[in-house]
Amino acid sequence: MGLTNAVVNGILMGSVYALIALGLTLIFGIMKVVNFAHGALLMIAMYAAYFTWLLTKANPYLALVVVAPLMFAIGYLLQRYLIRPVFKAEADTREPISALLLTAGLMVTLENAALLVFGGDYLTAKTSMTGVTYHLGSVSVSAARLYAFLITFAAGGVFHLFLKHTETGRAMRAVGQDRSASSLMGINVYKIYDIAFGAGVALLGVAGVVLIPFYYAQPSVGQIFGTRAFITVVLGGLGSVPGALVGGLLIGVVESVAAQFMEATWTQVLINYGFLVFLFIKPSGLFGSPYDS
Amino acid sequence: MSIKGQAIWGFGAVAALAAVPLFLTQPYYLHTVIMILFYAFLASSWNIVGGFAGQLSLGHSAYAAIGGYTSTLLFIHTGLTPWVGMLVGGLIAAIIAVLVGMPTFRLRGAYYALATVAFAEGFRVILESTKHVGKWDTGGAEGLMVPLKGNMPSLMQFMGKAPYYYVILGMLVLVVLVSWYIDRSKLGYYLTALREDEEAAQALGSNTAIAKLQAAAISAFFTALGGTFYAQLVRFLEPPAIAGADLSSQMVLLAIVGGRGTVLGPVLGGVLLTTLGELTRAKLGGSLLGIHLILYGIGVMVAILYKPQGLIDPLMAGVRKLARVVNRSRAAAETGR
Amino acid sequence: MVILEAKNLVKRFGGLIATNDVSLSVEQGSITGVIGPNGAGKTTLFALISGFHTLSSGEIWFEGKRIDGLKPYDLCKRGVARTFQVVKPFASKSVLYNVTVGAFARTNRTAEAERSALEVLKLTGLYEKRDALAKSLTIVDRKRLEVAKALATGPKLLLLDEVLAGLTPREVGEAVELVRTIREQGVTILMIEHVMQAVMALCENVHVIHHGVKIAEGTPMEVTRNETVIKAYLGEKYAAAAGSQ
Repeated sequence: MGLTNAVVNGILMGSVYALIALGLTLIFGIMKVVNFAHGALLMIAMYAAYFTWLLTKANPYLALVVVAPLMFAIGYLLQRYLIRPVFKAEADTREPISALLLTAGLMVTLENAALLVFGGDYLTAKTSMTGVTYHLGSVSVSAARLYAFLITFAAGGVFHLFLKHTETGRAMRAVGQDRSASSLMGINVYKIYDIAFGAGVALLGVAGVVLIPFYYAQPSVGQIFGTRAFITVVLGGLGSVPGALVGGLLIGVVESVAAQFMEATWTQVLINYGFLVFLFIKPSGLFGSPYDS
Repeated sequence: MSIKGQAIWGFGAVAALAAVPLFLTQPYYLHTVIMILFYAFLASSWNIVGGFAGQLSLGHSAYAAIGGYTSTLLFIHTGLTPWVGMLVGGLIAAIIAVLVGMPTFRLRGAYYALATVAFAEGFRVILESTKHVGKWDTGGAEGLMVPLKGNMPSLMQFMGKAPYYYVILGMLVLVVLVSWYIDRSKLGYYLTALREDEEAAQALGSNTAIAKLQAAAISAFFTALGGTFYAQLVRFLEPPAIAGADLSSQMVLLAIVGGRGTVLGPVLGGVLLTTLGELTRAKLGGSLLGIHLILYGIGVMVAILYKPQGLIDPLMAGVRKLARVVNRSRAAAETGR
Repeated sequence: MVILEAKNLVKRFGGLIATNDVSLSVEQGSITGVIGPNGAGKTTLFALISGFHTLSSGEIWFEGKRIDGLKPYDLCKRGVARTFQVVKPFASKSVLYNVTVGAFARTNRTAEAERSALEVLKLTGLYEKRDALAKSLTIVDRKRLEVAKALATGPKLLLLDEVLAGLTPREVGEAVELVRTIREQGVTILMIEHVMQAVMALCENVHVIHHGVKIAEGTPMEVTRNETVIKAYLGEKYAAAAGSQ
């Protein structure tokens, strides 16, 4: 296949990893909650995207209009009614372990509920676009992966602008830096948490939509993406937006290039254990501060 | 409660449990209670590092897999009886737990949990992708079968389910006794201390890193024993089952609902939730896959929301109140005479 | 006999020099004070001595042996114990449990550790409350507990970090008595304190730290008359007034 091709495809896929990681790092950066249900929520997003496409018979990317707000609502409600009470109970601890455990329980519930409701079938959105590949020199990319890259990149950009230039975005960054100070400045901290969680999950909605044309939805699809997202986030630095981007691209490229030299399953081992080694050397990540860890 | 009181209750409970196979003779029911005790055992084993030491290991099934595969491979290729193979597996698991723990325990809670997930997931994939280790066939994704030898107690294989029941009961009693002993020992005090405030524990003379590693080793050892038991009971090992996220999650969820960091909490959680899970599975039929896990997941969320310390403390408080009421009415009856 | 000797201690945090060439020595059996305005670097000093921070340079000698670089738990085994300015109780456990943890520094057996702990509880006036949960204690008792925990480790040198902060004058008086009692048991005491009443009453020797530098040393009387010290605490005006005495 060629190294350049592998790198390019790695970047394309890495963009999706980056977007997924972005949601996770946002949630952690602002709330210090490790959302173990992140992968499971992506799985839900993929199912939502699939069924929207199935029912509307329209272009699968148009499902964005339905799925993104839907996922936002799901995230918002989860935070408001499930996580917030637990969070308040341990408001003074440095690490909200209970929230972590709660999301772990949520993950197990969601995965098995999906298994129950949707069965174990592998579902994907096959369209006229499936199988279409573009060629440029030695590089060939499938249309779906290209669109995935473009859309996630755009979504990331929009989100970045949101964080930087809107009132809510600034409020979110403030809360992430100092909860008490933000509260004293009149920011409704808990409402920001709700919005942040919603936003993080909405990003998963985008990721789900762009994945479904070339990836399969099944109940445990969240596991591998979830772990990848965590690896990405830690790699880039927990709470760092540029870190999520760089981390995601890096993981995508490593995965793609490694697949040139070893079987696909072993790339997973490489990434997981490579990550462990990295964790011991620089747990704060590429862009994180050592005082955070 | 005094030691004597605890011992009496303990003997009573074990005796009651030991009598179960006399009443439940159908293999299906026996298998169910065996699995109940099995999960209680695993939850208690996890609890030593996850509860006492407070380290959220979310990839503990790797140690069960190490146990199961070690004893089975040794049995198939060297004829070593699983009774001994079990101990070898336990030892290997303990060593690996220490090696994994040394760098990871330095990490903060969430990072540590993540590292355990990455490790366990990677390990499962290794098991799935490896068909041979040297000249030994390890089965890969297709799994490994334990050869059927019929009724050979010396090789940990029995006709009928009842002997398996007694084996797992014995193991459960053992892990609970070990937990109880640790809880009141220096290690237990140090583990509790480092859970509450690691710096303070260090200032008081506790080498917290070593304490965590000791807990990790003991926990992994027992979990591996469970893996061997599973292999001998089911006679089939496949990576997604024995080394997968489901088993890892179950151990954690059961212990939390019962009471993380207590001696009997994991047993309670294991018995309660597994019974519920099995009942649900029985009532709603095998077509509803994973319903027991949904229950566990919801159970943990409810527990975290309303009773994060688990059910054991309220339960014990209730039992003590009941005991007081009984005592008082007995005393009243006597004075009334 | 000098039990603790700190030589030219330097501690840098990135570009900030928290401890700048501080040297001090502590006589065995004495009660020595470390005072200084807030933010002077006193707690950093304690953290350096008790192994919670590593030295950027310098040496620390305890009982004639070098101890810099040792971990807190090893130092505890050697006889150096400390309390924390912000108390660190094991909140959900009983008072007895808390102190027993400390007692395990000298024994491996639970029964013995508990016995030891009970003795310490009697000494520190917490015996009646031994079964209470640490989190239910008043601030005074929490401070007592903090001292009791450290004392249970059987130290030769006890570092007290502002144990008297937030106490009423009567409570301060009780605490002063407790410190004296501890010293009578043969424990050397090095204490960071702001409550001058206690420093005057207890300390034989006082070191004054300001901006990470030791600016004075002497008896409490000498030090409180020292112009540099007054300037550090109160500013130029008062220094001039003191100088004219």
